[in-house]
Parts: sequence; structure tokens; C-alpha cells
Amino acid sequence: MTAELVDETAATDRDEVKRPKGQSELGRSWARFRRNKLAFGSLFFIGLLILVSIIAPLVAPYGYDDMDVTNRFAAPLSESHLLGTDQLGRDVFSRMLFSLRTALIIGFTAELLGLLVALIIGLWAGWKGGRIEGALMAVTDVMYCFPGYLFSVIMVVIMGRSIIAIILAIGIAGWVGQARLVRAQVLKIKNYDYVEASRSIGTSPVSIAVRHILPNAIAPMLVTVSFGIPGAIIAESGLALMGLGVAPPMPSWGGMIVEGYIYVLAHPHMIAAPLVLFGLTVLSFTWVGDGLRDAFDSSEEDHA
Amino acid sequence: MLGYMARRLVRMVLSLVAVSLITFVLLQMVPGSFSELSNAGSTIYGDVGMVDGGEAAVNQGDQRPAWQQYLSFMKGLVTWDMGPTYKYPQASVEELIGEAFPVSLTLAIPATLLTLVIAIPIGMLAAVKKDKLADYGSLFTLTTIQALPGYLFALLLVLIFSVGLNVLPVRGWKGPEYMIIPVIALAVQPTAVLARYVRSSMLEALRDEYVVAALAKGGTQRTVLIRHVLRNSMIPLVTVVGPIFAGLATGTVFVEVLLGIPGLGRLFSSAARQRDMPLLMGATMFFAIILMVMNLLVDIAYGLLDPRIRLEQSGNKGSRRAKRPGQPKVSTGMSTDSTETVVAIGGTRV
Repeated sequence: MTAELVDETAATDRDEVKRPKGQSELGRSWARFRRNKLAFGSLFFIGLLILVSIIAPLVAPYGYDDMDVTNRFAAPLSESHLLGTDQLGRDVFSRMLFSLRTALIIGFTAELLGLLVALIIGLWAGWKGGRIEGALMAVTDVMYCFPGYLFSVIMVVIMGRSIIAIILAIGIAGWVGQARLVRAQVLKIKNYDYVEASRSIGTSPVSIAVRHILPNAIAPMLVTVSFGIPGAIIAESGLALMGLGVAPPMPSWGGMIVEGYIYVLAHPHMIAAPLVLFGLTVLSFTWVGDGLRDAFDSSEEDHA
Repeated sequence: MLGYMARRLVRMVLSLVAVSLITFVLLQMVPGSFSELSNAGSTIYGDVGMVDGGEAAVNQGDQRPAWQQYLSFMKGLVTWDMGPTYKYPQASVEELIGEAFPVSLTLAIPATLLTLVIAIPIGMLAAVKKDKLADYGSLFTLTTIQALPGYLFALLLVLIFSVGLNVLPVRGWKGPEYMIIPVIALAVQPTAVLARYVRSSMLEALRDEYVVAALAKGGTQRTVLIRHVLRNSMIPLVTVVGPIFAGLATGTVFVEVLLGIPGLGRLFSSAARQRDMPLLMGATMFFAIILMVMNLLVDIAYGLLDPRIRLEQSGNKGSRRAKRPGQPKVSTGMSTDSTETVVAIGGTRV
């Protein structure tokens, strides 16, 4: 699969570091990525977050819905509750972990859903051109004046507040920009000589798309995904902030923040903890995205 | 130029019709009418079902066929007379929007000004000190800030100034002191977007030949920077500042909801929670109109400021979307968007 990615001619005049012969483009990018300590650390942190969210029921000291009624508004570091409890006596630390789980599930699946739609339509539009391309551009034009969250809100109003509905709402709102990106990428790669060559020997469009164009579009797509996931997480907590997130009692950072905000003066611990984890999660994805972008971009151009 | 403006206007109207159709069709699919959810809706504690069946029957909603409803809505939108809302039968949609919009504007205008005042110097500094510590430091900080949503900064400010120092109010909308936290919180992310944009725009202007010429003629670095580079690199800024302002005037939902500010965003969010269709439809269209008008103004201003765009526009009449600089979406804060813009601008400048 990596065979297409080896680009010997380009390799000689790029990249300042000497590298062993035969290493793939992806391998070189990975080496560059690993040198970026912040990005690599963030990737490690994300791995940790995923692990924690998978085993959340085991790690969390309480269930997300367990109420310790005699112990409402417990302060952090109290004897039985690490980060205190909320207005119903629910353990903030446990709820924070389950929120992480909700956020990651929605973030990953919504982004992947959007990406899948974007890939299909973007590849098609970029390859075929003509009407489909015109239609895609028209849709993009319309979506530009239709803020993403607005669309998500209306979708949630239609489909209800199940986790699947929210994934669909966020994923659908996000595909347009990505489809444009795929299309731009396809248009670029389409004109490369080797694509021309394989077309001239009669390779079918589908196989060209899958074997030549897709592997070349992977790098920018990976970058988009790593920026798209925190975007979806932010969208999810935004929906929860408006009272349209996952249905309670399932916790979500947005919901915890709105509930905690009512008591913020007396009990700031209720929002402080989810806020920190939320911020760190979003940032670590962004830093990974930044690292990936720098790693794939071997030219020394400034990219603002 | 006139032909160009006319074409853009036609396209804008077509897009608006498309947006209204999409919204209308989507809202037709909403299960459960307002009457079923009367007195209730979605809250943070869950969907509250029907509480009072007898009274709810009064609010049957519109029983006419869908296309008639759509036409009467569009007529209402054009004549700015959209009738009563479900939730507040005594108030009309346009009254509620008319009340909420000034509130959002009083936040958006200072926030945009604050953005300009802070972002331009930072971006310039980063461009002039390119590849030095100041550049890397600010670039890193800016990307980091850009990734975080505005309401997160609002919460941080509340934790510091309201909870910690106890000098600013937590929520509400009663006086000037209630503006401080939302304005700063709203300005943070656009500042990061704009500063990065100023930086790359300046860098591009610095590479142009007229800069070399001006330096060769004996201009000091300072005068060249201010009189040549700054003036030329400010032109593309129009394309970013316009959408930033439009985004702030409409897209402040989360900050408004959180801080209890009675602006457009909160109006929209409560309409959505309560399934108040006339209000939801009206607010959505209002958002779309503002964003589109802003885009139109940006395109026209850009054409006026940079004759090259204008010439190119009249040059290839055949292609409908010849040169339109992409707009960065402020609300999502995805840095890929601004890169796209820079690329698009770069294309028009060559």
C-alpha cells in the first residue's frame, strides 16, 4: 500500500535530514512527527484518554447517576469524592470520565461519518467535474451562510437527543468543507503525470481513485480529521450547553458546565474540573493536528 | 463592476431561497408539534412531555398545506411581518428579533473593535520578526487559542474575575459591567484568527517587488513597513473582518446562553428547545440574511479596494464563481479554514 507513496525524485531535494534509503514518505513524516515533542506527547495523552474512556466504568469510583444525597456539593478532595459532588450529590470525577466517553464517541464517529460522506462526494465531484461539481459548489455556497451549529441544532430538534441523532447532526453539518478539501486535492492529483499515465493504459476510474488519488490525499485528510474531532467535541458540548445534548442522566461536559454554572459562585469546583479536561482534550487533538501538518509538509514554506 | 454586483445579488437571493427551503423542509420533519410539547421542551434535565393537554389544544399550529405555509412565511419575511410566535402569542417574531438583535450588536461591535486593535499589532510583529522567538511564540499561542471555543474563555474569565476576585457579575444583562466578560470572551478567538491572517498577509506583501524597490530607493524599514506594506496588506483583511463581524453578530449563541444575555443567540436556542417553529424559522433566516449581506459587502469592498479583482471579474464572465475569496468560519475555529482563505487570497493576488 505504501508503494505509491515512495517518491524518490522529490525525496532528494526535500528534507534536510539524511535518511536511510527505501524509507517511505509516511515513515519520514512519522519521524518528523516524533521529533515534535508537544505533538507526540499529545498523541500519547489522547491514547490515554481513549483507554480511560473505554474502561471508564471500571475506573470511575461511582456510576454517573449515583447520588450521594447526604453529601451534596461536597468540596473537592473530600474523603469519599476526589473532585467533590454536584447539586444532586453525584460524583464530579466519575461524571467527568463518562463525559469524556460521550465526547470521544461523538467526536470520532461524527468526524468519521462526515469524512466518509466528504470522501465519496469530493472524489466524485473532483474526478467527474461538470454537474456534480457545480452542485457541490452550490451546496457549499449555501452552507457558508448557514452556520454549522445552526444546522446541527435543527437536526437535533428533528431527530431527538439520542447519541446517534447527535452524531448524525454534527457529522452532516461538517461534511461540506471537507468535501471541498477532497475535491481540491483530487483536482491537484488528477493532473499528475502518473495519473495521466495510468489513465492512458486504460485503468478504470474507480481503481485510479482508490489506488492513486486516495493514498495521496491521506496526508491532508489526516490533518483535517485531527482538527475535525475537537471541532465535533466542541459542537457536542455546545449542543449540551443549549440543552440539546445527549439526554440526561448521561453526562456531558456541556451539560455539566450549564448545571454547574448555576452554582458557580458558591461551588466553582463543579465547572472547573470538566472545563480543564475539556480544554486539554480539545488542545491535544489540535496539537496533534498541528504536528501532523508540519510533518507532512516537508517544504519550509510558512503556513499560517 | 455593476454587472458583477448584479450577478452577486442574484446569487445571494437564490442562496437565500435555498436556505429557506432547506430550513422549512427540515422543520416540517420535526416530530411532535409545539402543542404536544407545550409548557415544556428540551431542558438540561431531559425532554419534558405534555403537561397540560387541554390548553395545548388551542395551539394547533398551522393546518394549511405545506406549500401555502412556506409561501406565507416568505411573504412575511419579505414584508417583515411574520406573525405571532407559539411561545409568546402576544409578541410577533419580528418584534422578538428586533429586541434581541441590538443586544447582540452591542456585544459584536466592541468585540470586533477589540479584535482589530489587538490582532493587527500582534500579526505585524510576528511577520516582522519572522522565524524569531516572538514569531514562533505568538504563532503557537494563536493556534492554541484558536482551537478553543469562546465560551471556554467566558468561563475562565468568570472563574477569575467573578468567583476569584469578585469584581464582575456572573450572569445577566443589566449594565455596562455585564458587557466586559462577554466582549473579551467573544474577541479572543477572532483575534487569533485575524492575527494569523495579518501575519501571512504581511509576509506576502513583504515579498513583493515594490517593497524591494522602496527599500532600494532609500526608504527606512519603518516607513516602508507603514506606508507600503501595511497599506497593501490591509486590503485582504476586509475579507476576514467582515465574516468575523457577521459571525459575532449572529453566532454568539453559546456565550449568550451561558451568561444569560438576551441576544439573538439565546432567542434562537430557546426557540429550538421549545419547538417554536415560526420563531426558529425567522431567526434562522435572519442569521442567513446577515451572513449573506456581509459576504456581499465584503466582495464589493474587496473589488473596490483592489482593482485587479474587478478586472478579473469582468475578464471571465463565463465562469460564475471566478474569484471569490473563501471566508474563514470563525465559529468552528478550524485552522484549516484560514489556511484555505490564505491560499485563495494568494491565488487572487498573483
